[in-house]
Amino acid sequence: MQKYIFRRLLIGIPVFLSITIIIFGLIEIAPGDITDYFIRPELNMTNEAEEAIRARFGLDQPVTVRYVNWLVNVLRGDLGFRYTNGQPVAATIGQRLSATVLLAGTALIVGSVIGVALGVFTALRQYSVWDFLLTSVSFLGISIPSFVAGIIVLYIFAIKLGWFPSGGMRPVDRDPTLLTTIQYLVLPTFVLSLAPIANFMRYTRFAMLEVIRADYVRTARGKGMPENRITWRHGFPNALLPVITLFGLSLPALVVGAVFTETIFSWPGMGTLYLEAVNGRDVPLLMGMNLVIALVVLVANLVTDLAYAVADPRIRYD
Amino acid sequence: MNLWKKFVLVALLLVLAIPLTVSFAQDTSGNTLIGAFDVGPGGAPAVIPYMDTAGRTWLSKIWSPLVSWNGDISVLEPQLATDWSSNEDFTVWTFNLREGVLWHDGEPFTADDVVFSLNLAMNPEAATSFPGFSQLSRDTVAEVRAVDDLTVEFVLTQANPRLPYNLILLWILPEHALADLAPADYQNSDWFFTEAIGTGPFMHEEFQRDQFWSLVANPNYWRGAPKLDRLINRYFADETSAILALEAGEIQFTYASGDVALGFEGNADYQLFSGPSGVTNYMIFNERDPRFADVRVRQAFLYAIDRQAIVETVLRGTAQVVPCIGAFPAMYPAAEELNDYAYNPEMARQLLAEAGFDASQPIEVVTYYDSQFHSDALAAIQAFLADVGVTITPIRQDVPTYNSYFYTGEGWTISYRGVASGLANFPFPFYEVGGQPTTDGLPLSGGEYPELIDLLAQARVEGDQDAYVGLIQDTCAFQNQNATEGYMWTAIRFGVASSGLQDFYWFPAPGGGPFEDHPELWSVSE
Repeated sequence: MQKYIFRRLLIGIPVFLSITIIIFGLIEIAPGDITDYFIRPELNMTNEAEEAIRARFGLDQPVTVRYVNWLVNVLRGDLGFRYTNGQPVAATIGQRLSATVLLAGTALIVGSVIGVALGVFTALRQYSVWDFLLTSVSFLGISIPSFVAGIIVLYIFAIKLGWFPSGGMRPVDRDPTLLTTIQYLVLPTFVLSLAPIANFMRYTRFAMLEVIRADYVRTARGKGMPENRITWRHGFPNALLPVITLFGLSLPALVVGAVFTETIFSWPGMGTLYLEAVNGRDVPLLMGMNLVIALVVLVANLVTDLAYAVADPRIRYD
Repeated sequence: MNLWKKFVLVALLLVLAIPLTVSFAQDTSGNTLIGAFDVGPGGAPAVIPYMDTAGRTWLSKIWSPLVSWNGDISVLEPQLATDWSSNEDFTVWTFNLREGVLWHDGEPFTADDVVFSLNLAMNPEAATSFPGFSQLSRDTVAEVRAVDDLTVEFVLTQANPRLPYNLILLWILPEHALADLAPADYQNSDWFFTEAIGTGPFMHEEFQRDQFWSLVANPNYWRGAPKLDRLINRYFADETSAILALEAGEIQFTYASGDVALGFEGNADYQLFSGPSGVTNYMIFNERDPRFADVRVRQAFLYAIDRQAIVETVLRGTAQVVPCIGAFPAMYPAAEELNDYAYNPEMARQLLAEAGFDASQPIEVVTYYDSQFHSDALAAIQAFLADVGVTITPIRQDVPTYNSYFYTGEGWTISYRGVASGLANFPFPFYEVGGQPTTDGLPLSGGEYPELIDLLAQARVEGDQDAYVGLIQDTCAFQNQNATEGYMWTAIRFGVASSGLQDFYWFPAPGGGPFEDHPELWSVSE
């Protein structure tokens, strides 16, 4: 197992480098740079001022020099400073990442727990009213855009009922507590977990239906084993593999962020930061974010593969 | 009750119990005003002096310039300077500074702070936006020196009758706190968000990036201590979120676009603030394309578009038609000197036919605007032009993409855009050869108008205000009669505040001002 992990990590290095080269290249060929961001079309900007900005950010150097400089700094552990506001990239990403992980992580946990539970529930009651009802609702959960769901829940629960805050991550006029954090989390988590609930439910339902028709389940039932034990001891663990895949695929979303949900709820996460970085042609920030995202995708894939081995004893990586 | 029902019941109870356990409503007792001061075109969250492309309404709460706009940005208002004068040829300016002004840490404000600030602002290692926006750089300012503690002198390399207007964006920073900061480290410094010191009405309290910036009253403010105890700027990713927070009672002020603001009209719970944006929206024709070098074609476009109808119906009265690039009536000559280009599709068709205009090829109209206001306006323009046989396709691009090619003069035929244009900030460089640099050295539109350039050159150096206004009006008449561009309208912008705010004031100044809004008088009623 250790050898396998080491090999995977080793393969990750060239993949990682390739990703940074591709992204740097894509940013380079995209129209506009940070100077174009600082020019306000409605105000005048002199040629000298534009050149000064370009020189300040080193844009007067060849692209290869800029890439190598960036890479050398990264290897030293320095992600640099944002072009648009001069703030350190690592600290910015760290701050936004923690906000996104809090929101997306909560949504993923809520989504997976409720989704898996409902999946098992509907599988055990196939073709019942509950099955039809929840399956229909799950389609709604998948198809309703988050900006629509977000506006609806905000209107009902924040404006009309006044139960929850309309946005933000914490009160602005006093220190946050665990309870205020939960309060600010409820609505965006609800909106963000709609799709995961539906997805986990459908995957779990499908996997459970396969498993509960298997010979070994029929045998267990024939031996007079209680239904609850059959479900949770023999059925559920064997239905977990596709759920683990779905969970692994969902992990990168933890760092990518949810642009629409974060925007509607003014949640200062990675999704809105990525938009800012693209709109501002903020190369150090874009590179730093892509670096983190690539790292998480690579690690998430590895963790998912390892989780298969834990869930299914037949899978071995030796 | 089986396991499933218990699970669902407990989950529901937990969620419903959360609102009951703790109040999230903002604590507005103790006179705290929470606003979304950086939403809208004049806002820019968490910018710092000399890096500010906008967001100056908020910056002015902490830092002050020597002079600012007055409340409706029509004239200058003294701030840290009390008065100013120049020599005869406007190459040396003397500013007298206000006595008794203290920095937030209690240190006295002096002329040395002004010298330090201008040198920092003109240093390309430190500042990115100031030299471009203020037109002040080491090429135009030979020296700035402290004559004594309360007098500062600016020596210029060329005549500038309007230097005080250029100094609006010069936030005065404390030399004693920042002298040790290397200019190259200026933009990366955390000082502005952790221990900022200014001379403004409020003092830094807490900054949470992307969430809020809170300030407390400055008891030593030179106009008197503010009535508010705290002023908090809450950041929102978009206008809709801010409006929802306003309706939920979590904030007391935000910018609102015209269609949204009109929904609050007549509602006793809110007060509306509005004013001209100071930005003229127009279609710039690329005269490098021979079709648009013909004045008849440009005039035909103006006759074809019913600008007044668009303003009244599509834009619901939230804009005013303009005859030229000027955004304010004081810049217009008498009506008889202007062609109103009243809607006349027959005239448009006739002019296009006379000019032999080839309408077979669709024309792309590029813009960087993404608001509903401009989308609606462009759709209406498209429909009116289609009626006279001209097919246009609006293309929306983000600002950096637009900027990356627009100023080359190549790759576009017509652009729907805007320019800030007041008497004090007339966009001279947009019309001067080499002013807003293009690759072929021509003015932006590619059109060469010696008479216009001559008028602008005279206005540039005219020190007498009446004569200056006359030259700007002559410029307007020339632009109007020659349809040098397709002048459309200037938008009215809105802010919405809770009716509980007393003596609150807001104006939609371009870039957020700075303008005089007397925040020391603001209060929140119980």
